[in-house]
Amino acid sequence: MSKVILQKFRYSRLVPFLFITLLLVVLPVFMPKNVQGIMTKFLIYAVFAISYDLIFGYTGLVSLGHAAFFGAGGYAVAVLSLHYGTNSFWLGGILAIIVSTLLAVVLGFISLRVTGTYFLLLTFALAQLLYSVAWNIPWFNSEGMQGIARINFPSLGIPGEIWSDATLYYFVLVIAVICYYILRRITKSPFGHALVGIREGEARMTALGYNTWLYKYMGYIIAAPFAGMAGALFAYYSRFISPAQFGLGTSFYPMVMAIIGGTGTLFGPVIGAGVVVFVEYFASLITPERWPLILGIIFVLSIMYLRSGLGVSIYKLWQKVSNSNGNSKS
Amino acid sequence: MDFFLSNLLNGISYGMILFLIAAGMSIVLGIMGITNLAHGSLYMIGAYIGWTIFVQLGMNFWLAVFAGAVVSGIIGLLIERIFLKHLYKQVNEQVLLTYGLVYITTNLVTWIWGGRYRLQFTAPELDMHTVNLGSFSFPLTRIVITIFGILVALILWYLQDKTRIGAIVRAGMDDKEMVQGLGINLELVSMAVFFVASFVAGLAGVIGAQLLSTYPGLGENVLLLTLAVIIVGGIGSIQGALVGGLLIGLIDNFGKALFPQYAMFTIYFAMIIVLLIKPSGLLGRSK
Repeated sequence: MSKVILQKFRYSRLVPFLFITLLLVVLPVFMPKNVQGIMTKFLIYAVFAISYDLIFGYTGLVSLGHAAFFGAGGYAVAVLSLHYGTNSFWLGGILAIIVSTLLAVVLGFISLRVTGTYFLLLTFALAQLLYSVAWNIPWFNSEGMQGIARINFPSLGIPGEIWSDATLYYFVLVIAVICYYILRRITKSPFGHALVGIREGEARMTALGYNTWLYKYMGYIIAAPFAGMAGALFAYYSRFISPAQFGLGTSFYPMVMAIIGGTGTLFGPVIGAGVVVFVEYFASLITPERWPLILGIIFVLSIMYLRSGLGVSIYKLWQKVSNSNGNSKS
Repeated sequence: MDFFLSNLLNGISYGMILFLIAAGMSIVLGIMGITNLAHGSLYMIGAYIGWTIFVQLGMNFWLAVFAGAVVSGIIGLLIERIFLKHLYKQVNEQVLLTYGLVYITTNLVTWIWGGRYRLQFTAPELDMHTVNLGSFSFPLTRIVITIFGILVALILWYLQDKTRIGAIVRAGMDDKEMVQGLGINLELVSMAVFFVASFVAGLAGVIGAQLLSTYPGLGENVLLLTLAVIIVGGIGSIQGALVGGLLIGLIDNFGKALFPQYAMFTIYFAMIIVLLIKPSGLLGRSK
């Protein structure tokens, strides 16, 4: 029995698992408060990036409007907090999921009427429409400002729960792991393989009898609640949500993360999110006003030199190391 | 009536500026298949160069217009030579890279010129002059802008539709290999197209400084407007950019006058309506 378990946790899988556990679960305890905050931000963007990876990396749809779902999730939480005075996660999280999914049902139906450059422009236009809605309609704004402020920590309805930056971190960690697990299952499923098939050759998939439009539509809808959840968590994390959450800049974040880390891998975008968030943190320590310049240079460098993705390189390196270890054992 | 006429004329002159910016981006996108999101930044660079030469150094306004256009043209050409020529037919990479350039230029502009808003400026011979149209007067600069826009539109349209160069450019859009097979240096042609597109954007930057004040976030805001123009008008033709520019200009002006509380909203709403009816834009070539 123990041999079976040992075989399951082969050497090559156990070590990275322990390493990641150490990094994400144990290490933050000993970290100062602001680093915990940065780790939280990293996990939130990681969820956002893997959600985008499903449609960008796996399905091959280049959307410039993924911020629509991120913003929708954030505003779901923020509006509940502003107008109904509740910060219950069960209400906020579920509303974020419902709103972003319904939004994807509508926006996806409109955007997927076209392909290529037009799809890019249409997704951008729709997100921009939401931006102007959030900007213009008073109901979506706190008194006298653009955006909604003073969003509290989420409440789980457990008596005696105490929230701090550390609690929020572990809360986000649990949700991020769940999201990653679900998306991993989806991408490993026949449905996920069909999406990859569409990316590689849509005509061939059509010839095989797949309704490729429906698959793309489904992929687009399935990605949305994860982005919505990331947006909701972001609202709890930053305690403030503004129309910029719908903006073009927000849509570009998961894209650059996916490309830096390696598209179509799920693991890659997580690495990419880590790179972007931590570089931002260090840049803001040294030269905060130059951060956009550095971010721009990251965009350019990742396109010119890192196109296969950093995550993929790390994965390949690890395979090399573990293979040579396995060889020396046998 | 005055309300209608003044908004109409304002909308047209604003639309002309939008046309000048969008024409280049639309041609580059439609003909060369390059999505250059830094196009709005080229406009902004033109505006700042013009500001430096005209306001700071006190030189001639028309010299400032020319210098702004040339500097933008050269920077556009450099962007094409250094980055975009390696990324033909790779839409995601182009989009991401050029958006990175938007961040870079915005920050560099803040670095060089500071984050302050610069006042609107224009040629002294045009400033303060008005044209009386019946019961109300209309600033001369806006009329000059409109005439300028029509002139550029005519030149570009003539180049595109009536000359051999235009024919080569359009042929390259449809069948790159065949055009190269005919012994035409397409690389040189695309460099020229990119230069002209960026040149016109820089020109618009200095001319348009009268309407849109100059500030570091200008590049991105102009980009959003430009994308709206291209979406409404359709990709890849001068006529499309002109129709799109005028429509967006008019919608924006009348929208702001009639529903001031919904500023940007009217533009994006119009954009969505057009896309729902005709996804390739009003004058776009449907695939």
